Amino acid sequence: MSDLKPITALGGAVSRAQSFGALSIVENSGLALASLALRDGMTPPIPMGLTLPGPGGWTTGGDVAAFWTGPGQWMIEAEGKAEEDFAAALAAQVPGGFVTEQTDGWVAFEISSAAGEGPIRRLMEKVVNVDVAGFAPGCATRTGLEHMSVFLIRRAEDRLAIIGMRTLAASLWHALETAATRLQDHPAA
Amino acid sequence: MTRLNGGLIDRSQTLSFSFDGKSYRGHPGDTLASALLANDQRLVGRSFKYHRPRGVISAGSEEPNALVELRNGARQEPNTRATVTELFEGLVANSQNHMGRLEFDLLAVNDWLAPFFAAGFYYKTFMWPKAFWEKLYEPAIRRAAGLGSLSLQPDPDAYDKGFLHCDLLVIGGGAAGLAAALTAARSGAQVILVDEDFRLGGRLLAESHALNDAPAVGWIAGVEAEFATLPNLRVMRRTTVFGAYDHGIFGAVERVSDHLATPGKRVRQTLWRITTKHSILAAGATERHIPFANNDRPGVMLAGAMRAYANRWAVSAAQRVAIFTNNNDGHRTACDLVAKGVDIAGVIDTRSDAKSLGAYPLYAGAVVSNSRGRLGLRKIEVTRNGQTQWLSCGALGVSGGWNPNVHLSSHHRGRPVWSEALQAFVPGIGGPPGLSVAGAALGQGSTQAALISGAEAARDALVDLGIPATLPVLPHAEDAPQTLQSYWHVPGKPRAWVDFQNDVTVKDITLAHQENMRPVEHLKRWTTLGMATDQGKTANVTALAVMAELTGKSIPETGTTMFRPPYTGVSLSVLGGGDSGEDFRPRRLTPTHDWAAAQGAVFVEAGPWMRAQYYPRAGETHWRQSVDREVLATRAGVGLCDVTTLGKVDVQGADAGEFLNRIYANGMKTLQVGRVRYGLMLREDGFAYDDGTCARLGEDHYVVTTTTAQAGAIYRHLEFARQCLWPELEVHLISTTDAWAQIAVAGPKSRALLEQVVDDFDLSNAGFPFMACAGLTVCNGLRARLFRISFSGELAYEIAVPARYGTALMARLVALGKDLGATPYGTEALGVLRIEKGHAAGNELNGQTTAQMLGMGRMVSTKKDSVGAVMSRREGLVGETRVLVGLQPLDPSLPVVAGAHLFAEGAAPKTETDQGWITSACFSPHVGSAIGLGFLADGAARIGEVVVAANPLERQSVKLRVVPPHFVDPEGGRLRV
Amino acid sequence: MLIPHPLLGLRDAQEFVYLGDASLLNRPDGMAEGAAEAFGDYVYLRDNPAGVHRELWFHEQGDRSWLVVTRDTTTHEILGAELARDVALAAKGGAA
Repeated sequence: MSDLKPITALGGAVSRAQSFGALSIVENSGLALASLALRDGMTPPIPMGLTLPGPGGWTTGGDVAAFWTGPGQWMIEAEGKAEEDFAAALAAQVPGGFVTEQTDGWVAFEISSAAGEGPIRRLMEKVVNVDVAGFAPGCATRTGLEHMSVFLIRRAEDRLAIIGMRTLAASLWHALETAATRLQDHPAA
Repeated sequence: MTRLNGGLIDRSQTLSFSFDGKSYRGHPGDTLASALLANDQRLVGRSFKYHRPRGVISAGSEEPNALVELRNGARQEPNTRATVTELFEGLVANSQNHMGRLEFDLLAVNDWLAPFFAAGFYYKTFMWPKAFWEKLYEPAIRRAAGLGSLSLQPDPDAYDKGFLHCDLLVIGGGAAGLAAALTAARSGAQVILVDEDFRLGGRLLAESHALNDAPAVGWIAGVEAEFATLPNLRVMRRTTVFGAYDHGIFGAVERVSDHLATPGKRVRQTLWRITTKHSILAAGATERHIPFANNDRPGVMLAGAMRAYANRWAVSAAQRVAIFTNNNDGHRTACDLVAKGVDIAGVIDTRSDAKSLGAYPLYAGAVVSNSRGRLGLRKIEVTRNGQTQWLSCGALGVSGGWNPNVHLSSHHRGRPVWSEALQAFVPGIGGPPGLSVAGAALGQGSTQAALISGAEAARDALVDLGIPATLPVLPHAEDAPQTLQSYWHVPGKPRAWVDFQNDVTVKDITLAHQENMRPVEHLKRWTTLGMATDQGKTANVTALAVMAELTGKSIPETGTTMFRPPYTGVSLSVLGGGDSGEDFRPRRLTPTHDWAAAQGAVFVEAGPWMRAQYYPRAGETHWRQSVDREVLATRAGVGLCDVTTLGKVDVQGADAGEFLNRIYANGMKTLQVGRVRYGLMLREDGFAYDDGTCARLGEDHYVVTTTTAQAGAIYRHLEFARQCLWPELEVHLISTTDAWAQIAVAGPKSRALLEQVVDDFDLSNAGFPFMACAGLTVCNGLRARLFRISFSGELAYEIAVPARYGTALMARLVALGKDLGATPYGTEALGVLRIEKGHAAGNELNGQTTAQMLGMGRMVSTKKDSVGAVMSRREGLVGETRVLVGLQPLDPSLPVVAGAHLFAEGAAPKTETDQGWITSACFSPHVGSAIGLGFLADGAARIGEVVVAANPLERQSVKLRVVPPHFVDPEGGRLRV
Repeated sequence: MLIPHPLLGLRDAQEFVYLGDASLLNRPDGMAEGAAEAFGDYVYLRDNPAGVHRELWFHEQGDRSWLVVTRDTTTHEILGAELARDVALAAKGGAA
């Protein structure tokens, strides 16, 4: 293991976590990411037992999950594997596929609600132009958030992941913190 | 006090407020207008042009007159309609548009000068002399006219925005809107009901009619109780839908805390973008008045508003009132006021066959022909069959019929059509797709018709969406027929106001007619009719009718009223929608940002990025000292710079080489694995687009770098080429810009420094030569990529590690390099180093330059097709002689300024003699003077010549010697050691 | 506006970057005879119809697909949207 010490996307030694009433936002620094594209005409593989989802979808199988990012292209997530060479592990599972290490390209914020789906819905209404009613668990999409490009993953009714560009982590946190604070202070609006 | 019994105000609580410094009291449920009327304050402001005393006219958002400056200090907001301002404890309002006290406005002199202020006055009067306009006329006019004043302080409040999606959006919460929302919400559809008022009910709150033989508020309460149980319905009060946009998108502003003294922790307003499959406009109707001589005195108001004040707010504008009407609706007001104990001086009805509907004097076949009362109405003149008489009254309710609020239905070029039966414009053909109209907005004016049309509109919309819906059981309600006689204005000599806000009278319209400004568009601009904050809601149709009468044409032949967003005024703050200052836009931080900040770096914005500009040290008092030190340290030892901002794109696939061959002007297919090549991209028009390096990491794996500024555009361009131009090639792209922290390690001692961090890797010149690249590990096992490339002209590398290790690696390199003089440098030194080396950057690649100009004409391969190759061989581009040269002042103490243009010595500096321009300039500590790069005509042949750089902006003219563009190591030996 | 993305359904136009006329798909062969003239037309000549227009939109804040969107420029009505890659492949005779 290298003797260099990593920092999180927000610049801390440990992940940032904060609660805003029923909502909590946690910087997920352990999440490994790798993109996967298939060779033309290749049979869709089942890497690590994952069925690759169709457009707008997210599938999960234990510690790994996959979401669709474009035609013939997916992002594979591995919980707690940021310090491993996850891209290499994935590449070994998909011979002939094109894998690119993406762990450090992104910051992942895991947002959960202690009061059901309501707070998740209200937060989404404030930050992204996505029809929340149609964004059920198992949905994933890329969209704009305060002029930043983000992936949204509805992991459960009461859980949402927002994955943004790593260099924009501070601005993304600011946007989410502002919206969550306002919802906490004035839940009706 | 003119409070009546009843009403929807909470008398158990008292709110104190002030108007023009005087204290008053009201109750929760009051608006500022109702509270002022309850305190006998009829005079509220002065008119725009003539400074005539004005009072409350309406009870809603159409108000043209009762505009105040609300709040004080930084929160002062001009032109706030008192009729829609909810009363709160401590409210402070001031009248506006007067000089001196409201009662004795010095600018009321304008009213005596009225003959000079007729239609087109400004256009006619201030034409000559032309120079006077800016210096004299405009400032004077601006001081005298205009409405309220701004605080000129920063807005202290927060604003928000949000996005909503639904199946059906119902705009308006009156009878039709409530019936529509109830029908739709019961079906299970996703429904949003929006109303601008703070209380649902619309006109139902203003009327005394029963629903199912009980007060309407009971039915409304029942509906609201059911609404609360329906999770698929969202009710938004205090929210105005201000515009209909393409494909079912609506803009709305929610006034979250305008009804509070201060927002506290809340935002003040929220801008909502609502995307809906269907929409129902149930915005009701606006009553119109009937112009007569001096009809603008405080106390003259719309009869329906008078009724609303009596029924909802328990207020009468005076103890004794009269009504002027051309329909039965005016009589309703009289009846409701009689029931509340108000004395009715008379109902003056233009219809000779009008019948009295209650206990009040009726003047049938009569008109109100004049009025008296300097600061408020005292008397009206009634004319019947040529006979006149004066009636005493403190208020007059005028009812000229109702105009459906068609506004949003005409936002998509929808043209309202004239209904002879209703004597009003109703929604016509066109308009926003998916929008249907219901209730009074459609001309369905009776309560019963409004309820039914709302419910039916909702059912039809849902059927369209495939959602089964049934009509609810609706209450039994009044269903009085339309009884209007077409009557538009009372003829007479004195001025009769049509548009109160802009002081447009019947006379002005007559003058516009005489001057041939007859089309409505001309009429509007000549008289300013329908402009300003109310956009003519109470005036436009009446003005059209007056013009029709003058031209002898019908109203529809004369024109129609079209509306654009916004329906009512929207503050710029809420459109700005959120963050300001440092958080105004997202900022990209490099992986070493916090480390650089801790070193005391000064940062500079580079597009979205914040980059370290230079690192001042103790004792350095000028940025140049820091930058010179960083440059010299790099050339003498080793410098370190975070270059993560360069765009990085992974290009993979069997055809990746072929693809890049077509993207770059030079060849990339032949690049060997483990090597890097400089690449130049052209635009399809043949001009230079971007440059960077291309590294081949594997047989079918390349990494392309772009300039910082163009990273986004180049990625889009690459995807365009991949998907649209050559979809048959197997290529996959993904950006990895953020994934890798990339640090430039530059200078003669860079190898010595890097040797201390690489794990078991041969860095020797033979083992890892110039333009080599490799994957390796550093610092005991950390994955890294190493590129031997140089932007500075020195022996140099760029090392990339996973972004989370960027700070640690930078700190390690600085620590290990202490004895080597390792020095972090910022973008300023980066710029100096590359100018000294003659490397082109953004200033040279500005979209107007070609490969040939950059001295890279021969790089554009003719053996293959690539983007821009064909067009780069155009005659005009091939004939271009301006090429990149270096420039150095003859007098080393003189500056070189980027942007200055180049001329031959002795030539007059003008366009015809222009020979080029300076693109980049800096002070070069290596050369010991300022230096520059620039494009010079025939530059290659003029090395050694003297040219003049003209900078007329600063009246500078500096003699420069033309030199080769490489000030450092022109042979490139340093790169290869 | 809403763009009917062939894979993702209705998406707000704010997610897209507009390029222009879909004739940009028909890039001439730079090595062919008469390439100079063909490129002059390709780069500079565009129709500017008041009515139905086929145009290129890039789903920048989305799946990074280029779309060919058919839009009536007078009403903003959108008559259809296809993946530009499919359109380009079909034009090249379905070669994959």
